[in-house]
Amino acid sequence: MFKRILIANRGEIALRVIRTAREMGIECVTVFSDFDRQALHTRMGHVAVPLDGNLPAETYLVGEKVLAAAKATGAEAIHPGYGFLSENAGFARSVTEAGLAWIGPPPAAIEVMGDKIESRRAMLAAEVPLVPGMTDPCETPEAARAAAEEIGLPVALKAAAGGGGKGIRIVRDLGEVESAFRTASGEAQSAFGDGRLYVERYIDNPRHVEIQVLFDQHGNGIHLGERECSIQRRHQKLLEECPAVVLTDELRARMGEVALRASHAVGYQGVGTVEFLFSKDEFFFLEMNTRLQVEHPITELVTGIDLVREQLLAAAGEPLELSQSDVVMNGHSIEVRINAEDVPAGFLPATGTVQNLRLPGGPWVRVDSCMYDGLEVGLNYDPMLAKIIVWGPDRGTAIARMRRALEELNIGGVRTSATAALAVLAEKRFMDGDYDTHFLESLDLSSPLGNEEDLVAALAAVHRYHRSRQRAISVNGDDRAGWLHRSRESMSDHRRRAGRHGDAQ
Amino acid sequence: MKYFVQVNGRERLVELVERLGKLTTTVDGVPVELSYESIDDRGQLLVLSGGWSYGVSVEGETSEIDITIAGHLYDVRIEDERERAANAAERAEARSGGLVKSVMPGVVIDILVAPGDHVEVGQPLLVLEAMKMQNEISSPVSGTVKEVHALQGQAVGAGAKLVSIDAGEADS
Repeated sequence: MFKRILIANRGEIALRVIRTAREMGIECVTVFSDFDRQALHTRMGHVAVPLDGNLPAETYLVGEKVLAAAKATGAEAIHPGYGFLSENAGFARSVTEAGLAWIGPPPAAIEVMGDKIESRRAMLAAEVPLVPGMTDPCETPEAARAAAEEIGLPVALKAAAGGGGKGIRIVRDLGEVESAFRTASGEAQSAFGDGRLYVERYIDNPRHVEIQVLFDQHGNGIHLGERECSIQRRHQKLLEECPAVVLTDELRARMGEVALRASHAVGYQGVGTVEFLFSKDEFFFLEMNTRLQVEHPITELVTGIDLVREQLLAAAGEPLELSQSDVVMNGHSIEVRINAEDVPAGFLPATGTVQNLRLPGGPWVRVDSCMYDGLEVGLNYDPMLAKIIVWGPDRGTAIARMRRALEELNIGGVRTSATAALAVLAEKRFMDGDYDTHFLESLDLSSPLGNEEDLVAALAAVHRYHRSRQRAISVNGDDRAGWLHRSRESMSDHRRRAGRHGDAQ
Repeated sequence: MKYFVQVNGRERLVELVERLGKLTTTVDGVPVELSYESIDDRGQLLVLSGGWSYGVSVEGETSEIDITIAGHLYDVRIEDERERAANAAERAEARSGGLVKSVMPGVVIDILVAPGDHVEVGQPLLVLEAMKMQNEISSPVSGTVKEVHALQGQAVGAGAKLVSIDAGEADS
C-alpha cells in the first residue's frame, strides 16, 4: 500500500479522501490555490503545497503543477477526486508515465467513456441498451435540425465533450432546435473548448438510476447496487437516495449485470458509475463517470463498503476481496447537496461569508462538509459546500431523519439549496416515491416554506432595536461615532463602515 | 418606534414601545409576546414566544437581513420611518420604467437588443454567464430599449445596471 498520496482536489471531496487515507495510515499531500490557503483541506492534510494562482485554470486544472507537487513531496499516487483533473485522460497518462499510480481507471477507459460518441460505439458493441440517437456530433444548427427531424421529437442536445449538465438543451419543437443549438454550443465551447453537440431522443418521465461498480486490476469486478438521482434541476443533482424505489431485486441484478458488461468493455479498473435513464422498467445507458461520484456516500451507508478504501486498494494492485454475494443492501440512505444557491431567486449562485454555522449531528447522520465560520464563498469554484447524508432502516425513517437534520443545519451569510431539499421532502409525491427527473423543476420554490412570518417580523424589529441601542451605548468611541454618523448618512455608507469593522477583527 | 418589515415579500407594520425598560411589540396592531436573548453577538439568538422556544440565526446589514429558524430562511427588509420616506422616492422612480439589473455576478456573453428596439415582456435582452451556466436575462416590461449599460464580455457585479427600458411609450 502507498505511504503517501497526493489529493488533487479541494472542498469536501478532498476531506473525504483524507479521512479514509488517514485511517489506512497513508499520508496526504494536499494542494491549494491562493484563495484556499485557509481551507479545511489545506489544514487537514499532512503536507500542503501551494499552487500559485486563484482560478481553477491556474491551479487545480494545471496538471504540470499538480504532478510537480507530487514529485517534490514524494507522493506515490494521485487521487483526483471528482471534477477538475479526474476525467482528464492526458493527465492520468502523465501521472503513470511519471512512475506514479493513478487512483482511477486506465486512461484509455477515461477517453472512451469521456467521449459521448466513442462511448456509444463501445456500448453498442457490448450490447448495452442505448437511447436512440446519432453516433456523430453536429457542428452546425442546421445539421442538428436535420438530425432532430430524423430521430423524432422531443430531442436532447448534448455537448460532445460534456458533463455536469453544461451544454445540454431539451427541444420539443423543431423550430427551436437551431436557437437551442447556439446557446448549448456556446456553453459547451466555454466549458470544454468543444462546441460540438449530439442529438438523441429525449425520454419522457425518465428517472436517473445509476449503478456503482468496483473493479481491481486483475479483471475482477462487482457492482454495489444503484443510486436514484432523479431529484435534479438543469441536470444538477440535489438529492439522491439508495436504494431506488422503482427497482426490484430482479431489475437490480439485470442493471448490475449490464453495468459490469459496460465496464468490462472498456477495461475498467477502480470505482466507477454507470448512469442509466430508467423509464417504465426499461433502462438505457446514459454515460459512465470514470471517477468517484459526489453521491457515493449513500452507497457506502447502505452496503457498509468504504469506496475510497476500495479505490486505494485497487490502485495499489490489490486483488478484490469482495464478491458479488458480499454486497448486501441494508436499509435506506439519502443525501442532500448543500450548494451556495438562492432558491427563491431561481437557484441563482449565492455568495457570502459563512456565519453562525451549526452542522447537524446525532444518530445515522453523516456530514461531508468543507464549511467553517468565516469561509468566503465566491464564484470561482463549484457551489457545493457540503453533503448531508442520513441512513435509516427504511425509506420513511430516512426521510424523517433527513428532514430533522436539515432543520438542525444552520448556515448564515450564504443562501443554500437546503431549503429546496426541505420542500422536496415535504412533497407527498416524493414520499410516495412517485417522481422523475422533472419533479424538482415542477415545484414552485419561489416562496419560502416557513410559516413564522409574523414572529419573524416582530423579531427583526426587536433585533434592530437592540442592535442600535447596543451601538449607541457602546464604550467603544469609534462604534458610537459610527452609529451617530450612520444615522445621518446613507445606507451604502453604512455598509462600507460595517465592512471595515469586520476587517479590523 | 415604527418599523416597516417585509418578510418574504409581504409587508407588516411593527411597532415597538418601551415603557419602564420593558419592550412591547405589535405586528399590524396585534400584540406579539417575545423574549429576545443574544447568545454571542454574532447573530445567534434565543427567542421565546407564545410558550415556544426558537433557535434563531440572523445575518446581514441593518436594512436587509436573513433570519433562519429550523432550517427555514426568511428574507427580511426592514425600514424605519426615516428610511421609508427616503426609499419611497426611489421606488416611484423604478416603477415608471424598467431598469434591468444583474441579479448575480457574471459575465455578459451576448447582448441581444440595441437602443430603440421594441421589446415584449419576457423577451431575452442578453445572455449572462455565471457559474459556467449561461442564463438569458429577459425583459420585465414591454417597451422601448432606452440604453444598454453593459458591454459584451464585460464582468458585472450583482446589482449592476444592464438595460434601461422605457415602459410607457410602446403601449401608447
